[in-house]
Amino acid sequence: MQPQPNPNPPKEFAHPVEAKFARLLDFYRIPWEHEPTTFPLSLDEEGNINEALTPDFYLSNQDLYIELTTQRQSLITEKNRKIRLLRQNYPHINIKLLNRRDMRILLIKYGFDAVTGKLIGKPRDVEKSE
Amino acid sequence: MSKNQNNNIVPLSPGVGPVVFSEAQIQARVMELGEAISRDYAGADLVLIGILKGIVFFMADLLRSVHTPVIVDFMSISRFGPSEETRGAARLLKDLDLSLQGRHALIIEIIVETGFTLSYMLRTLQARQPASLGVCALLDRPRHRLIDVPLKYVGFEAPDEFIVGYGLHYREKFRQLPYIAYYDPKKGT
Repeated sequence: MQPQPNPNPPKEFAHPVEAKFARLLDFYRIPWEHEPTTFPLSLDEEGNINEALTPDFYLSNQDLYIELTTQRQSLITEKNRKIRLLRQNYPHINIKLLNRRDMRILLIKYGFDAVTGKLIGKPRDVEKSE
Repeated sequence: MSKNQNNNIVPLSPGVGPVVFSEAQIQARVMELGEAISRDYAGADLVLIGILKGIVFFMADLLRSVHTPVIVDFMSISRFGPSEETRGAARLLKDLDLSLQGRHALIIEIIVETGFTLSYMLRTLQARQPASLGVCALLDRPRHRLIDVPLKYVGFEAPDEFIVGYGLHYREKFRQLPYIAYYDPKKGT
């Protein structure tokens, strides 16, 4: 299996947290690309892609892929499984998963307390789920 | 007040929780860092550069534990946040007063997390052609690192929770605590 360039990276972000993260990278002048690569994770008997992962961001200067998730911990198992598969199949690829808790800490660190609940859910929900 | 008559720590707010690093622990570690810097930079033309404003306590204590002549200077940069989000990119709010050219420069940081701010500072200062450029951080959160930044000296690894005190703040409060403690934003200020 080989990583495949994403021929049509989305022009808009799927989630407002992604937009906020992109703005943060821009602020500190850190070059990034949005969903530039798809990593096939398993193939069927005919060689078609069964499942794949397209990380949200690629930081070229760091050679680092970043996947953001705002899912609760109880729902994150599938995402973790895909990240684990990606690391197994592409051990030379650096990928980091920023989970809901990481995003909450990051948003509050940068003063977005007022909108953190709107972006990733209420803090109590976070606490209950984690 | 941060201590009562029995010298017990009294929280400034219900949100300020257990102490992570006590005043004595911090002072002992800062002394060790000062000794290491004194040894490594003996005889060098060294500038310690503090990034305002959380750095003031750490810088004051570290300076007094360095036993080789040093120069101190400060910088301040704009910080990403609701009021800066639409204003383009990070910029210097206060530049250094001194030239770094040919001097050994050591950035003093209170905490390194993602590496966003520090990588910006390193790029900015490297362009000024110092003889060397290093970083001394009191606290490091390597699990949060997204940008690789070289840390020459680290005091402690920070826990993966909100912490305040010794220059660290929550909404600009609690910097004055002489220790570093957990902080729970849900319990309020």
